[in-house]
Amino acid sequence: MQPPPPPRWLDRLLTWLVAPHLHEEVLGDLHERYHRRTQRLGYAAARRRYLREVLAYCRPSLIRRKPQVYPSPFFLNPDMLRNYFTVAWRTLTKSPTYSLVNLIGLALGMACSLLIGLWIYDELSYDRFLPHHEQIHFVRVNYNFRGGETQTAFATPGPLADVIDRDIPSVAATTILSWPSETLVRVGDKVAKETGQYASVGFFDVFELPAVQGNAKTALANLNQIVISQKMAATYFPEGQAVGKTLQLDNKRVFVVGAVLENLPANSTLQFDWLVNFTVEEKEWQSAWTYNAVMTYLRLRPDASPAQAETAMKGLFRRYATFDNKERVILQPITQLHLWGDYKNGVAVGGQIEYVRLFGSMALFILLIACINFMNLSTARSAMRTKEVGVRKVVGAGRLALMGQFLSESLLMSLLGAVVALGLVWLLLPPFNAIFDKRLALDLADPARWVGLLGLILLTGLLSGSYPALFLSGLRPVRILKSAGWRAGTGPAQFRRALVVFQFALSVFLIVGMLTVGQQMHYLRTKHLGLDRDNVAYVTLEGALNDYEKTEQLRQQLLQTTSVAMATTTAQLPLNIRNTSTDLHWPGQPQKQLVSVATMSVGNDFIKTMGIKLVAGRDFRTNSIADTSCYLVNEAAAKLMGIKEPVGREITFWFGKGPIIGLMKDFHLGSMHQAIQPLVVTFMPPNTQYLLIRPRAGQTPQALADLERLVKQANPNYPFAYHFLDEAYEDLYQREQQVSTLINYAGALAILISCLGLFGLATFTAEQRTKEIGVRKVLGASVASIVALLGGDFLRLVLVAILIASPLAWWAMHYWLADFAYKITIEWWVFALAGVLAVGIALLTVSFQSIRAAVANPVKSLRTE
Amino acid sequence: MKGTYLGEFEEVVLLAVAIQSGEAYGAAVVSEIEQQMNRPVNLGAVHAVLCRLQEKGLVSSHLGGATPERGGRRKRLYAMTGAGRRALEEIRQLRNQMWAAIPNPALS
Repeated sequence: MQPPPPPRWLDRLLTWLVAPHLHEEVLGDLHERYHRRTQRLGYAAARRRYLREVLAYCRPSLIRRKPQVYPSPFFLNPDMLRNYFTVAWRTLTKSPTYSLVNLIGLALGMACSLLIGLWIYDELSYDRFLPHHEQIHFVRVNYNFRGGETQTAFATPGPLADVIDRDIPSVAATTILSWPSETLVRVGDKVAKETGQYASVGFFDVFELPAVQGNAKTALANLNQIVISQKMAATYFPEGQAVGKTLQLDNKRVFVVGAVLENLPANSTLQFDWLVNFTVEEKEWQSAWTYNAVMTYLRLRPDASPAQAETAMKGLFRRYATFDNKERVILQPITQLHLWGDYKNGVAVGGQIEYVRLFGSMALFILLIACINFMNLSTARSAMRTKEVGVRKVVGAGRLALMGQFLSESLLMSLLGAVVALGLVWLLLPPFNAIFDKRLALDLADPARWVGLLGLILLTGLLSGSYPALFLSGLRPVRILKSAGWRAGTGPAQFRRALVVFQFALSVFLIVGMLTVGQQMHYLRTKHLGLDRDNVAYVTLEGALNDYEKTEQLRQQLLQTTSVAMATTTAQLPLNIRNTSTDLHWPGQPQKQLVSVATMSVGNDFIKTMGIKLVAGRDFRTNSIADTSCYLVNEAAAKLMGIKEPVGREITFWFGKGPIIGLMKDFHLGSMHQAIQPLVVTFMPPNTQYLLIRPRAGQTPQALADLERLVKQANPNYPFAYHFLDEAYEDLYQREQQVSTLINYAGALAILISCLGLFGLATFTAEQRTKEIGVRKVLGASVASIVALLGGDFLRLVLVAILIASPLAWWAMHYWLADFAYKITIEWWVFALAGVLAVGIALLTVSFQSIRAAVANPVKSLRTE
Repeated sequence: MKGTYLGEFEEVVLLAVAIQSGEAYGAAVVSEIEQQMNRPVNLGAVHAVLCRLQEKGLVSSHLGGATPERGGRRKRLYAMTGAGRRALEEIRQLRNQMWAAIPNPALS
């Protein structure tokens, strides 16, 4: 009977312990003795003795490994490193097609992620240039209307800042700012509009902005002084010293320049060119608790926490503003102001940050697609390089050394890619900046950029080199070298297929995105809005035109020209009507229920000029004083009040009790993110700010010329500037427009890169199967059947990709569209079209190589063996 | 100096290799020593000594045949070299010389 062998674990221990060159004899001898003992002493005793004998091998002379005759150097040895790169360079130049395909793909992917990286870096850097930015906070107020959701106001009541300053010990300084306004600046005969703000004296305690000339703090405290930017100083006082010179604002007040500030960088949420003391232009309503009239900023003491300060501010509204007790002051770090603009239920939920994330993931996707190309081609070509790996291993290369070699190949590639990508970025930055309205620059002096770039190179190199490095270095040399026709097994082939599927799934995803976003944008542009914004030009009423008499005279003059069809004036552009009021009351209103309605004031001919349909009633009568206490409402407002036939019913609003004289068909008040709100229109010609004209059909240039002539004549001290309403409306969708542009480019790029990869793979397969194709042709296969054979494989992968991507794309697009109150429905044909596009592009790419392989003369491919 | 000095156990192992001339391998050497000296000997120690002797050039080795009880592993067969023989003879001569130098009364 065969005795049981000695315990395996002891043998394993021994092989681990004892030097490899002794294994054979030591284990042999041990086993022989064990064998003999089992016969003489029995199994148990033999086992015990075996254990003792094994343990006796714990002696250094037996454990010490034999020094190798040809020691393999450490895989990070400088000589080895040089060797890796020499070999890598040779491999790359040996097959220029593959290298080029790889390089273009990588460079495009990297250029794309570099551009987006720059953009993200810029977005995240907002307001970080401010000294002590970690202490500066923007003040918002949470309101809670009875029973409703908490709403967060961007603006705050004027007196809040002073009260915080006085009552809250952890606050070091506060300031209030008016909304930025474009105001006419005049120095001698230089006249232009410049953006500026009115700020309270605490401004420079909160924002320690460096002054180039003068003392900004004392200048702001002084009521007849103005603080201007370097840019403005250079425009108006090019001779040098600006401090002490005078300039005139809005053709009215004259100010002495008190200080010149450094220009604010583009990544600042504060954007002004001049600053004047707040009290100079302070209006009565700006000092009331009932109006949210200003922007408030504060700076905490270095040791104070924002949460503490917020708690301390809890009782402020109750103490000073008697009307309600639901208001809560909340603080937002200034570095988050730009990114987190959307509040829901009193907490920041998103804003620009969503776009940062979206763009970031797109950049990552595209980089991933480019890396996958590299992986695919390298593993596909690994079949050709297995011999090389085998020989290397036989002459003593370790696994680490081989990995080092393959990784250095991919690193070299990504380095080359990065160089090309930098060139591309340099070329593409100007158009990119134009699209995204940025001032990004490829500033290579900044060490952070270098770190980023190096990180990108390493990431790309390691990512794209990882699979080949791991896979090829693990091959067994004996198997490779013994079988001459060793082919890449199913493992890598499966992996390659998975990668192609992944790539095309991403492409299909992006195509669906492109189509849906494009459709929604088209829908936004063409949906009938209920009022006609096309071909309406407007000018701001300023200077002499602030006088109502003159404005009305101008309007009449315009109407008398042959080119202008209609003209009206409004207090607010009918673009994004955001003013709301809770002053609406009507008979039968439930007790104590305040409602919030949108409101705007208009002048003569508003309904007619804007092309709004009246369901019932009439427009305000021209210059009728009686009509100033009448109101127009839209259908939503009528519904809100629960009045079926509102015309003639009396409501109470800003100008007291008055009848509703017209019911407007609902039109879109702003962008289509919001549902149509109830709207009350008041008639207040002297309060209007804009003059809108609608030219007669085909006479727009003439109308603009007439407008310019007449406006200049009426208001000679101001430069003439007009805009089109539809263009201004488009600006409401600026973000969507940017996403649309980006997704179009990203989609195109993803598809292009995927196709490059597919092209490389197809070339490779065709080459690999040259003999097979030759034999098939000799046996009578047609060109068509061979093309089908080669293309079919890839086609299947693309189909799988479509199946995977469609539901994901549907979900993502659904999520994006959920943000719009008015939107398209996602139709099935979008997916079909995306699929057909993907298949078509894949076929086109593959067929070029397949057809070339199929029409090749079989004699040529079969002649040599 | 290495190569000139032989320890006691080394001498015994070398002698055992010489006895089994041509057929000496680890397990066989151990059995030989155990038989001759009637004391248990550790295989590991013998292997260590064999390695050392080979390093000193006193024995040479080659791989021989495998047997089933060895699990198919081959034996490493050791043979004494000329240097090994000279080393043993030197020791023997030294001993004889010293024996001869002992005055007779001491032995009785």
